[in-house]
Amino acid sequence: MSSSNLASEILSHLQSKGLNPNPTWVTNFLSSQRPSVPLQALKQTAQIRLTHADITTSLQRSSKSVFPADIHNASVRERKVVGPIVVQVLDIEDIGRSKWSQLEALEAEERGETTKGREIIRVVPGEATESDNQAPVQSNGPHKLTLQDAQGTSVYGMEIVNVEGVGMSMNIGSKLVLKDVVVARGVLLLEPRCVVVLGGKIEELHKVWKEKRKETLKLGAQQIPPTSGPR
Amino acid sequence: MVTRILCVAEKPSIAKAVANHLAGGAVTIRHVPQNQFTKNYCFDYNFQPPWGASSVTFTSVLGHIMKHDFPSQYSWSNCNPRDLFDAPIDTFVEERNKTVAKNIEQQARHSDILYIWTDCDREGEHIGAEIRDLAKKVNPRIQVKRAQFNNIERAHVIQAARRPIELDERQAEAVSTRMEIDLRTGAAFSRILTNHLKPMIRDVQELKVISYGSCQFPTLGFVVDRYFRVRNFVPEPFWSIKVMHNKEGIKVNFNWKRVHLFDRMAVTILYERCLQAKTAKVIKTQKRPTSKWRPLPLTTVELQKMGSRFLRMDSQKVMKIAEDLYTKGWISYPRTETDQFDKGMDLKALVQRQTQNNIWGPFAQNLIAGAFQWPKSGRNNDKAHPPIHPVNYTNPSTLSDEESRVYSFVVRRFLACCSSDAVGELTTVEIEYGSEIFSASGLTVIARNYLDVYPYDKWESSQQLPVFATGETFVPTEAKMSEGKTSAPGYLTEPELIALMDANGIGTDATMAEHIAKIKERNYVMTRSQGGGSNNGNQEFIPTTLGVALIEGYENLQFATSLSKPFLRKELEVQMRAICAGTATRRDVVHNSIEQYRDVYNRSERGMDTLKAAVRNYVLGQTNG
Repeated sequence: MSSSNLASEILSHLQSKGLNPNPTWVTNFLSSQRPSVPLQALKQTAQIRLTHADITTSLQRSSKSVFPADIHNASVRERKVVGPIVVQVLDIEDIGRSKWSQLEALEAEERGETTKGREIIRVVPGEATESDNQAPVQSNGPHKLTLQDAQGTSVYGMEIVNVEGVGMSMNIGSKLVLKDVVVARGVLLLEPRCVVVLGGKIEELHKVWKEKRKETLKLGAQQIPPTSGPR
Repeated sequence: MVTRILCVAEKPSIAKAVANHLAGGAVTIRHVPQNQFTKNYCFDYNFQPPWGASSVTFTSVLGHIMKHDFPSQYSWSNCNPRDLFDAPIDTFVEERNKTVAKNIEQQARHSDILYIWTDCDREGEHIGAEIRDLAKKVNPRIQVKRAQFNNIERAHVIQAARRPIELDERQAEAVSTRMEIDLRTGAAFSRILTNHLKPMIRDVQELKVISYGSCQFPTLGFVVDRYFRVRNFVPEPFWSIKVMHNKEGIKVNFNWKRVHLFDRMAVTILYERCLQAKTAKVIKTQKRPTSKWRPLPLTTVELQKMGSRFLRMDSQKVMKIAEDLYTKGWISYPRTETDQFDKGMDLKALVQRQTQNNIWGPFAQNLIAGAFQWPKSGRNNDKAHPPIHPVNYTNPSTLSDEESRVYSFVVRRFLACCSSDAVGELTTVEIEYGSEIFSASGLTVIARNYLDVYPYDKWESSQQLPVFATGETFVPTEAKMSEGKTSAPGYLTEPELIALMDANGIGTDATMAEHIAKIKERNYVMTRSQGGGSNNGNQEFIPTTLGVALIEGYENLQFATSLSKPFLRKELEVQMRAICAGTATRRDVVHNSIEQYRDVYNRSERGMDTLKAAVRNYVLGQTNG
């Protein structure tokens, strides 16, 4: 197969998944592969590479595939963005639980209290003296995400209905495809109807996020504003 | 020839009560020389064949007879504490029990049969084995039997006397195992901690020893953990949406399904979308029968928890009172894990006895007249004792105030168990408003049933809901966004601590109260009334600076089997059960356990600077440096 045919095969596979890489990325990708690799494997590898890449350098941009310029305009009560727009997750928060309770849970995990055979029960249901404004231990979110498009614009997204694949175990750098998404006051309202989770990761971002997570929760609980926010 | 039988109970009160039941009054009381507590009750009794007509001496011990300790060359100043893991152990009659032991020996010499009447639990089995050993030493031919009983009611005692069984060697072994491990680890750790830490705090706190116990440390660990959770707590704001609709003159409050969220922006947007939607739509209406379940049969852990919650007594006090009631024959044996009644028990007869009471009598009468239901069964059965239940009726006004409270609780709980669940009807209405779901519910209690005799549970009818139809739409009278704040958990209370010990396998139901009392006595924790207020509420536990230093010191050493954590102890409890079941031997369990503790000891010795730093920090108030 000629290299241009190969490129178009790869490209159409990726496009079928909603990902539209720019020619540079495709060229670089192909040059890094040995010619003997079968096409099917090559398609798989391309998809994994692309979901693990930073979309601000890997994807094609068109007016439809990125957020409109005035996406943050908070005076717009509601509008619909058709897309499809590929975004990557830069941050994720569980807003159904207090930050402090999330921090306590992380610390218990670090102390090994959730390891099998070494569990320590710290709260027995029904025994705690009532304080009804405590966050539930188990939470389904909702989650609030910071999502970035290929142009580098970051926007908040909030689950208004649980979306499978969206959760605290998600990698930073995961890719989502948004279609016909409602935007209210500059915030994307996420629901299964308008979100496809492709997965993926951006290793460096994920590592930093993990490392800073406890610190972020601690500062957040104390309402000390983070040094830099989205946008 | 008349058979001579020596019966031995665990304490004098039981000997007296059982002897009187068997003898029917014709008892000769003989004093035991130099012992003011123990008496020998002598009478004739006709046992089942082959014993037949017998001459009986019924005496008692005062709990455990033997003491275990290291020989004098292992005294405090003479050895390295680590040697105690392997040191020989001497077993001898404890000084205060010398007259008791002598009495047993004297009586055993002239008896054909030793009939053991210690309490039917592990400790009782072990005490029984001690009595057996004393008797066999002076009279190797003496035959040994054991009575199986779990209350001191006359008919039950007479039944038990007819059916002697064998002593359970495994249970006795399990207790010896635990005693040996507790002795070695307790002594080794108490000595190393005292040697290193006591001199540091001499000026601020006077202490004989800094004592270690394998149950007390993890128990203290729970108190310290909660203390820090309270102290470090940071309150956080949250936001909520409240919807109220006035229908047919009733103000119906709808609760947000998300309860509240910790993000103002998110709630603001959702709230705006509610308002924007204008109308709410009823998406579900439901009217269904509901019930509040009657309680499970009463276990020791449950009695202790309820005691501190409703009877204004700490767990140790409740157990003491319950034991007195048991000794007097009013209630069954109060140390049990069982929460299911054996199908063969005549519970109705027990209910019948309560009909004479002027408060709950009518309720009991009603059960007898047909409302009786067999109690629900829980999941636990220790195969030794039934759940705690009233045995005989006594008018509570003839008891002391505290006894009366515990007795009344046991009776009410039992009658509640034999009654029916409370029945009600629950109406729920769910609405969709914007993208959000809200719901309102109303409860009507139709039949209170067990609640009538059991005031410790609360279940009341709520406001009634007007009729809503599915699909109906309306513009809510009011929709508000509100703000709140999380609040810190409370310090640990006794019922919570007992529940945590139970859930994490620390101590047995019978010993939990002792461990809690120990950490108070040793100055590791203090108690005060909840919220620091008047003293009729729950007691809450606050660690002392020394308590915090010990736990934090061990936490800072950062190893999984830390003494501040429950694992080592939990494992030992599991091993003890294995010995009882015959799947493990004392030798193996002692060996494995001691090796684990030796490892912890080595780590403690190497990490002594960390432990000292914690003491400097918390007890002496010096920051690290």
